Amino acid sequence: MIRKILVVTQKEILDHLRDYRTGLTTLLWGLFVIFLMGGMTMLLGANLREKLEKPFRLSVAGMENAPNLLAFMAQQNVIIEPAPADPKAAVIAGDISVALIIPPEYSENFSSGKTATIQLVYDSSRTSVVLDKIQVEELLKAYNRYIGLLRLSVRGINPRVIDVVQIEGVDTATPQSKALLFFSMLPYIIISVIFTGAASIITDATAGERERESLEPLLINPLPRGWFAIGKMLAAIPFTMLTLIITLAAFAILLRTLPLGEIIGIRPGFDAGTLATILLLCLPVIFLAAALQTLVASFTKTVKEANTHLPYIALIAALPGALIPLLPIKPALWMMLTPILGQQVLINQILHSEPISAINVLVASLGTSLVSIGITFIAVKFYESERIISR
Amino acid sequence: MIQVQGLSKSFGKIKAVNQVSFVAPDGQITGLLGPNGAGKSTILRMLYTLFKPDEGTAQVDGYDVNRFPLEVKKRIGVLADARGIYPRLTARENIRYYGYLHGVEKSVLEKHINILIRLLDMQAIADRKAKGFSTGEKLKVAIARALVHNPQNILLDEPTNGLDVISTRAMRRLILRLKEEGKCILLTSHIMQEVAALCDHIIIISQGSITASGTADELKQLTGQSDLEDAFVAALGVKEEWG
Repeated sequence: MIRKILVVTQKEILDHLRDYRTGLTTLLWGLFVIFLMGGMTMLLGANLREKLEKPFRLSVAGMENAPNLLAFMAQQNVIIEPAPADPKAAVIAGDISVALIIPPEYSENFSSGKTATIQLVYDSSRTSVVLDKIQVEELLKAYNRYIGLLRLSVRGINPRVIDVVQIEGVDTATPQSKALLFFSMLPYIIISVIFTGAASIITDATAGERERESLEPLLINPLPRGWFAIGKMLAAIPFTMLTLIITLAAFAILLRTLPLGEIIGIRPGFDAGTLATILLLCLPVIFLAAALQTLVASFTKTVKEANTHLPYIALIAALPGALIPLLPIKPALWMMLTPILGQQVLINQILHSEPISAINVLVASLGTSLVSIGITFIAVKFYESERIISR
Repeated sequence: MIQVQGLSKSFGKIKAVNQVSFVAPDGQITGLLGPNGAGKSTILRMLYTLFKPDEGTAQVDGYDVNRFPLEVKKRIGVLADARGIYPRLTARENIRYYGYLHGVEKSVLEKHINILIRLLDMQAIADRKAKGFSTGEKLKVAIARALVHNPQNILLDEPTNGLDVISTRAMRRLILRLKEEGKCILLTSHIMQEVAALCDHIIIISQGSITASGTADELKQLTGQSDLEDAFVAALGVKEEWG
């Protein structure tokens, strides 16, 4: 009887190998990874370098009121430019990112040792401005401290008295984990690939068969009806795996060919072996995706109807990945038991070169597999109902 | 042989089939004749185990359709109302798939397929992908795959529906040939002439129930009509209006 399930599987594989759309999906994912991720990394890298190397330009109104401050800034590689007549309007219009306004009374207050006020104009709703604002603030703080220390020294006080605590940062991020900020999209892409790689095959094999009126005659063949569902589901798995392998391979090629050392300063430390581990880890998720899609295909009447349901299933599936930054650092049992989330946490650990525990892998794989079996069972029940053929 | 006793099936409030009983013996062509929506296809669907009867029983070669659906399916060849084939497979691959699903041994299967291809005169299309086949060509594939396991009982739902006159005649010849081989043939049709030309036994179905049955001559006698079409309409017991 197992042989007959494989007959169904074999036929579906042959059928879909001849469908150009199958190849197209696979190819598109490969191209997506190479061009989009590659392009993004290059762009981010280029942007970062530009920011670091280019001198900072600051628009100042009332330059003549604070020559000392501006001289200090010029020493810090800042190019001072006169601000437009209305600095606020220029910031609102986006002509300049930030503007410094030095009022006429600044010079008097400064000379008499009073606190002198200056205004920093910025638009916090523009995210691109935030870095510039921070940079100016840092410069002003540095100047503030510099002058403050001088004033204390002049009064014969040890400047150290104002240093209550001193922060010494110890960064535990490995060079790899810093570089991986750029590849944090990978877990999300993997789940998306798994949920879209063979979706068209599964919908075509059930909802599509019904639409073409070939499902009813098929079910008259002497097999329990649920076995057709299982056979079709199995046929989707090699296609999903192939798409995932091609996506991961594209990713590997990207890692090898991109001058990452130059762009982001660090080379991530993972290789073909890491990618193979990720693939194995994903097998239960591939099973889960096929089961969910078979379920959807079994209760929808047309390919079009199935295609309205599948995108949000893929979205929900990828969602746990978005939660990862909010979760506790140490993987907990409930995370491993949650299908997809467990695998995403583990993939994240692998990408960060952290050791992963065998028990976690086992729990995640078993949990996801059990849920998949449950969903397959429901899909089989749908196949056995009369609804499957009534139009 | 197919035996049906008191078969009933409802969809919601609509009684699609109501207390239908008949016997279709081997070596005979039995026709279920009735207008569109009379319940003919529903009766066949219960016979090929896709629908479960609400009441009554049916046996194929002695196997109950409810209790032994797999045994029943092994013994029937069906041309269903839905007769879609796989456009990306060739005609031969379409037929072979069903052969494998029936567990026909490979060497026997290839021989069977070749016989069917010759019998249905489909040598020219046998190794072409089915995409773009005409209605007649698709029907040949559907018939061939239904017969690939050499079933004793053959169920044909509107076998000549949508065929041109040449294909219709070829189909009738095939059905008669199967009868000569001693098969049990049960077909449905809404075309009176077709049933008259082919069937040894005619069962007239209207609104889910049998209203008359017998040979063509018996039906004429029974209804007191000299023309079979008039006999058919009389047996339906409905007014002649657009239904």
